[in-house]
Amino acid sequence: MYRKIGLFALMLILATTVVFAQGTKESDKGETIVLRMGDNIPDRSTGWGAVIERINKDFIEMHPEVKITTESYQDQAWQEKVKIYATANQLPDVMKYWSFSTLLQPLVDGKFVEPLDMDTFKQYGYMAGALEGNVYNGQLYGIPVSADLWVIYVNKALFEKAGVPLPESWEDIVASVPKFKAQGIIPMVTDGKDGWPLCELFDNIQQRISGSFKPVADAIDRKARYTDDNFLHTARYIQNLVKAGVFQPDLVTSDYGASRNLFGQERAAMYMMGSWEMGLATDPNFSTSFRENLDVIKFPVIEGGKGSHDDLLAWFGGNYIVNAKSEHKDLALEYLEYYAKVFPAYAWETQATFPAQKVEARESDTIVAKKLLDIAADAKTTSGTPGLDRSTAAFKETHQDLMRRLMSNIITPEAFVVELDAAAEKAAK
Amino acid sequence: MTRYQVLKNAKKSLLAIFLSLFAVAQVFPLLWVASYSLQKSGDLFGPELFSLPTNPVWNNYVRVWFDGKFPQYLTNTLLVVIPSVTLSTLLSFSIAYACTRMQWKLRPVAWFIITIGLTIPIHTTLLPNFIWYNFFGLIDTRIGLIISYVAFSISFNAIIFSGLLAGLPYSMEESAFLDGAKYRHILASIIAPMAATGFATVGVQTFLNHWNEFIMANTYLMSEAKRTLPFSIIRFQGQYSSDYAVQFACMTLVALPPLVLYFIFNRWIVAGITAGAVKG
Amino acid sequence: MQLLKKPQNNQKQRWYVGVVFPYRRLFIELWGFLVKNLFSDKKTIALLSLPSIAVITFAILSPLVVSLYFSFMEFSGFGAATFVGMDNYQQLVLHDGTFYRALGNTFLLMLVTICIQNPIAFMIAAILTKLKDATSRFLRTIYFIPATLSLVVVTKLWVSIFNPGYGFLNKLLQGIGFKNIQIAWLSNPDTALGSVIWIMVWQGFGWALLFYYSGLMTVPKELEEAAKVDGANKFQLYTKIIVPYLLPVIQSVVVIDVISSLKQMEMVYLSTEGGPGDLTQFIAVYLYQKAFRYSEYGYGNAISVIFVILAVFLTVFIQRIFSERSAQSKRVDA
Repeated sequence: MYRKIGLFALMLILATTVVFAQGTKESDKGETIVLRMGDNIPDRSTGWGAVIERINKDFIEMHPEVKITTESYQDQAWQEKVKIYATANQLPDVMKYWSFSTLLQPLVDGKFVEPLDMDTFKQYGYMAGALEGNVYNGQLYGIPVSADLWVIYVNKALFEKAGVPLPESWEDIVASVPKFKAQGIIPMVTDGKDGWPLCELFDNIQQRISGSFKPVADAIDRKARYTDDNFLHTARYIQNLVKAGVFQPDLVTSDYGASRNLFGQERAAMYMMGSWEMGLATDPNFSTSFRENLDVIKFPVIEGGKGSHDDLLAWFGGNYIVNAKSEHKDLALEYLEYYAKVFPAYAWETQATFPAQKVEARESDTIVAKKLLDIAADAKTTSGTPGLDRSTAAFKETHQDLMRRLMSNIITPEAFVVELDAAAEKAAK
Repeated sequence: MTRYQVLKNAKKSLLAIFLSLFAVAQVFPLLWVASYSLQKSGDLFGPELFSLPTNPVWNNYVRVWFDGKFPQYLTNTLLVVIPSVTLSTLLSFSIAYACTRMQWKLRPVAWFIITIGLTIPIHTTLLPNFIWYNFFGLIDTRIGLIISYVAFSISFNAIIFSGLLAGLPYSMEESAFLDGAKYRHILASIIAPMAATGFATVGVQTFLNHWNEFIMANTYLMSEAKRTLPFSIIRFQGQYSSDYAVQFACMTLVALPPLVLYFIFNRWIVAGITAGAVKG
Repeated sequence: MQLLKKPQNNQKQRWYVGVVFPYRRLFIELWGFLVKNLFSDKKTIALLSLPSIAVITFAILSPLVVSLYFSFMEFSGFGAATFVGMDNYQQLVLHDGTFYRALGNTFLLMLVTICIQNPIAFMIAAILTKLKDATSRFLRTIYFIPATLSLVVVTKLWVSIFNPGYGFLNKLLQGIGFKNIQIAWLSNPDTALGSVIWIMVWQGFGWALLFYYSGLMTVPKELEEAAKVDGANKFQLYTKIIVPYLLPVIQSVVVIDVISSLKQMEMVYLSTEGGPGDLTQFIAVYLYQKAFRYSEYGYGNAISVIFVILAVFLTVFIQRIFSERSAQSKRVDA
């Protein structure tokens, strides 16, 4: 008897949970139109995330029937998610992505991206070459959102503590290592786990040695080889930097957040990263002393090398695209245009990031912001898209993997260049 | 004390030390995280070996609960795990019974399918399943997740049950059948209690696996409204990448429910085990 | 419904099983005239087995077929797929050093789990059975705690502990006296693999303990007493009597260890991602990276097909070994 009651109760609980497990379908909510979005900026309370939230709020005020839902993951996870979504035709309506051939081109080829009207967007003050980076087969496929300059952020207080002047060359940095270590400070940190910052380092050091960014593009196009002398010297130089103790000991397992944190918590004196991190200067999660002592310097030169301070590794990485198969294309396109219109002003106001559009410098800008504007203005030559993003996804992964091995001393520079070249050769087919 | 007694005491204390060290090794990592979860993020970088929170920063947990939408994730996890564990246990018991104690031609085929189910890595099935589920409208639904969870746990549970069921004498079913009982009564009232240890082990293991399952939930669920607990740690890592204390608070909070449930059901497992130990 | 008649006593029942088990079919035919369709009732069989088969086919077998299909293709994940025949397999088996390293790491993990973690778990389980119930229960709970934690928590936890700057391990070593030690446990080529394996073994320990403890509790007291009467000391008791008796349990645990070693993915993915280089690469991680990062989906699927074949082979192999052993011990008993 009791068994029967117990069984019935169990069935009832099961049935209820299964029914609830169905969940409610969002489309049942009547008149509301849901715009699905996705990006790689999980922190919505400050910096870039806050700017997007502000833009979204504005947009909803203009279109009260619209609801915006956003999925945010960190870089790698977001890229993987997009691949899965693309396969199942479930891409968001509007999403933040990258302009590189490794990432955007497959989507364009698969007809997942809506072409945009160049004339509409030209009027929003984009820097030279910004929009062009998103053009495939003569069509514009996305709008760039940030100008990415490769720089070194510094913590002036830690430099003073160790008695080290701000470095002009990599030799200066190597010489300062013992002084930093004596104070328990890590000289430089960067995201080694993801690997791409190491590839940027590679391209940049190559330029400082040979004096030009062109060899990288040539190697990818197979007009030059990665086994050429300049690349071999680059590999050797970088491995020596690691051996000298310039980077954090767990370089290859420090992910983006961890390395940024080390810098923000004042454990490291230098942070090699891009201009999009200018928001560090206004990040409330870090101490005021950190923010006040934050500065940024140009990528150092190499003594005896042919590159100068004003040869800038810069590209337009982040972009926004519209899903070609979206059910709300008009709204999505309208959102994109509004974004292009207001983003530079909003972003610069809170010093969130370095936009791909021209901004007015202000008295109240942070030191970092002013310096970045100067660095951009001083640039005599720029690199365009870095090597790792000019080819296939497989090449990019291999390049990253090889950099991690090189900087863990598992592979010799000689073997490194041979394998990198083989990967470039394979990718060119 | 005799020399023998001295030796015996020495052995006992040595044993006690060994067991305690072991206990510390098992528990300390979690305590370390829990302790720093109540401090300020910067304290983690301090020079001390290990510090206890003197001024507990409860706000970290408040942030996890509210910003991290903990109750929502918890509910979602419960809504997925309760049906999936129940279904998995029932289905695996059924097929284990059918394959070990019943006679039918296709038995080896069915059992082979079960064995295969055990060996397939989840990650190979992610992409094909995503397309497949999308076709049936199962993406971003809890039901889709339940189906996946059940599918991947049946094999393992069936093997556990089969071990237990194979050893039982056939006289059980036969005499009950002779007494005029229907099959489902035989199964429910006679065979099942015999396999009580199996139910306990299977129940606990399946529950823990499903509760903590991450990769499928991450791939098949899209909207915030449906996400399960393990995702909150990843989300926090992104959102609070600069605040380690809050990340640790999130990890501790996510670790708590399975722990608590294990403490509660520990007795049942023990009871189940000792009951099964006395055969008959 | 009538209550079941209890079998006479322990001894007789086991004898009964020993006789019935190998001659099951014959026995059933003898009872056939009474219990005609009991064990062959098609409706019941269908009801019991079909739901499970259906679910597994839907969620596991169909993707496997899709996997096999794509393993012969070159496919980036979306867009066009080109047929390349056995190219992926050729590349994998003949030219892929990382695959073999991943395989090696997987086997190393299996070895460590089966030869180090399991014996320790068995010993501690044995000790626990001899303690007072309350102490035993308390310790069992404590020892099981890591097994209740999600893999994400466990990995993030140990990544923090292994951190060279603020991690507990380095601080401990510095405190003991190794000043200025800053080992990056998970990045240093010498320590990375060991650290990753440590995390896996630490997490899995609780389950092994639970299984062995349950198994040990089923050992009848008469067995131990009979052995003591025969003059066996503790060592002989365990090695010659209890371990053979528990062979089925040990078999289950070994099979589980083998399968879960093969399936290791999240812990590596969330800590080292296979690095530095490919020193901590494991098959499931490599598979995932090839499919989702390198966008070499066909290649990733080739890896998983080989993985499945390997796993099935290993499982059957282990079951063979154990069934020989347990058949031997059963003959000894009966």
